[in-house]
Amino acid sequence: MTDPKTFNVNKIMEKAASAAAVFSQLSQEHTDRIVKAVYEAAFDNRVKLAKLAHEETGKGVWRDKVIKNVVASQFVYENIKDQKTAGIISCDEKSGIVEIAQPIGPIFALIPVTNPTSTVMFKILIALKTRNPIIIGPHPSALKCSTETARICYEAALKEDAPEDCVQWLNEVSMDLTHELMAHKGLSLVLATGGAGLVHAAYSSGTPAIGVGPGNVPVFIEQSADARFAVEQIIISKTFDNGTVCASEQAIVAERTNADEVIAQFKQQKCYFLTQEEVKTLEAVAYDSKRGLMNADIVGKSAPVIAKMAGIDVHADTKLLLARLDGVGKEYPLSGEILAPILAFYKVGGFDDAVNQCIDLNFYGGIGHTVSIYSNDEEKIGKFASIMNAGRILVNTPSSQGAVGGIYNTLDPSFTLGCGSGGKNITTDNITAKHLLNIQRIARRRINSRLEHFDQNLYFDESLDAKAIEKKFNMND
Amino acid sequence: MVQYDMESNITDEPNLVCSFTEQMDTANCLKVEEEILNKVRESKVPVIFNMQDVDYVSSVFLGMCLKVSKEIGFPNFTVINVQPNVKKVFKIAGFDKQISIT
Repeated sequence: MTDPKTFNVNKIMEKAASAAAVFSQLSQEHTDRIVKAVYEAAFDNRVKLAKLAHEETGKGVWRDKVIKNVVASQFVYENIKDQKTAGIISCDEKSGIVEIAQPIGPIFALIPVTNPTSTVMFKILIALKTRNPIIIGPHPSALKCSTETARICYEAALKEDAPEDCVQWLNEVSMDLTHELMAHKGLSLVLATGGAGLVHAAYSSGTPAIGVGPGNVPVFIEQSADARFAVEQIIISKTFDNGTVCASEQAIVAERTNADEVIAQFKQQKCYFLTQEEVKTLEAVAYDSKRGLMNADIVGKSAPVIAKMAGIDVHADTKLLLARLDGVGKEYPLSGEILAPILAFYKVGGFDDAVNQCIDLNFYGGIGHTVSIYSNDEEKIGKFASIMNAGRILVNTPSSQGAVGGIYNTLDPSFTLGCGSGGKNITTDNITAKHLLNIQRIARRRINSRLEHFDQNLYFDESLDAKAIEKKFNMND
Repeated sequence: MVQYDMESNITDEPNLVCSFTEQMDTANCLKVEEEILNKVRESKVPVIFNMQDVDYVSSVFLGMCLKVSKEIGFPNFTVINVQPNVKKVFKIAGFDKQISIT
């Protein structure tokens, strides 16, 4: 008798394989029609799906989820719509190299609870643009909204004669099913956006994977910065969807010369500095010491709600909770990643002390992800950037929206932010359609003019060193 | 290239403070390594490397830090006043997990 679980996974993969086969025949024009239809359907349902996500998960702010859906549909579409992703994409007569874009094959896309509809839109768009079938693996706490998003996208694709089963989704989620799918021999890629455990499982599956590392974004407000502006931008970013973006600010570092002004600005702009006693109380609520991670219950909640959970009395319109800390590490639970409107705050000596503090934060769970600086001193911005280990160094920009790209800068709009080798990822890029292609290169015979007139027997003369050979080689230049 | 101080104001207890006054590239490290290790062995007190004037360290310097740590034990060895460039080197090398670096 067939194990129902195995049967289910095999069935999914059989459908995906058929979809991949049909997809491989589609022209660029046909592919682009499908992508346009999917974008329009996703965009048209942006509000409904945002509300659904908020209702189901209880996390974030529905209006901000609408903006996320806009970025994931409209901005992503605008970014990829003119890209060549099918057939010959470049032809260089001089070099004799012709590049052909081929789909990579079935993709399994893991979706986080924090962006359960926008990430589905984004991954479906970049998968279909590259003629790859995609299987959506929702987070268990966001099953309904993620599958509804996938269904809307799929139906729109079918109307433009997309391959049957080019978008599939799991109606039930279990770790066993997820692991089995990730390791299935017919799968070509896992696009893993989620917690560290899930991403690690994707990398361990034996299937190529593009994952993302965790973030722990330090923000250096350098003394030349406009403190009022910096604080305003940080609040815009950290309150966006109640801090659920992995690139959202986690710690503020200010110098002795401007720290008081920065603190005053935070207070003036409705943020609350916790007492040392309240910091301890909040740590117990915000941090799960058994798992060594933020407590999932506070993720995406507003500052007043979290304060209430911790028994801390704050005004109803409080935007952020700030905790003054002296160090970084396990002894300081709020110094790590917290996807909620909570910020650590550090007052340090001068520029070098501030950069050192940011290095500590950067290396405490956020290597390769994103860092942020507010400054009007180009030399200091350059020094900060060269020392940090981050795929995205954002300057005078809200980091949530800045890292995602397309709003405040020209980074590729993406809901999967590569963190490089530091974050155990293959790239620091904002992942987009170009990462889902196999590029074939036709290499036609061309004459290497220097090699042509070079006596290759010289390679066998041991008396000739590298400099002597180079000289002879260049004589034919 | 290295100034030694046993009367440090940095801590109340006696420490051997080695303050480096030049870049700790390979050539400079080789010039002072033996001298430093001898001082460490003779003094038998905790050692502090003061890096205030250093923004480059070679792998020989990292090796020297390990030798000093082994000689006196990791808890008795501290590196202070590191500039960001050097701090990053210690972080990448993973030295900050065993050696106190501030």
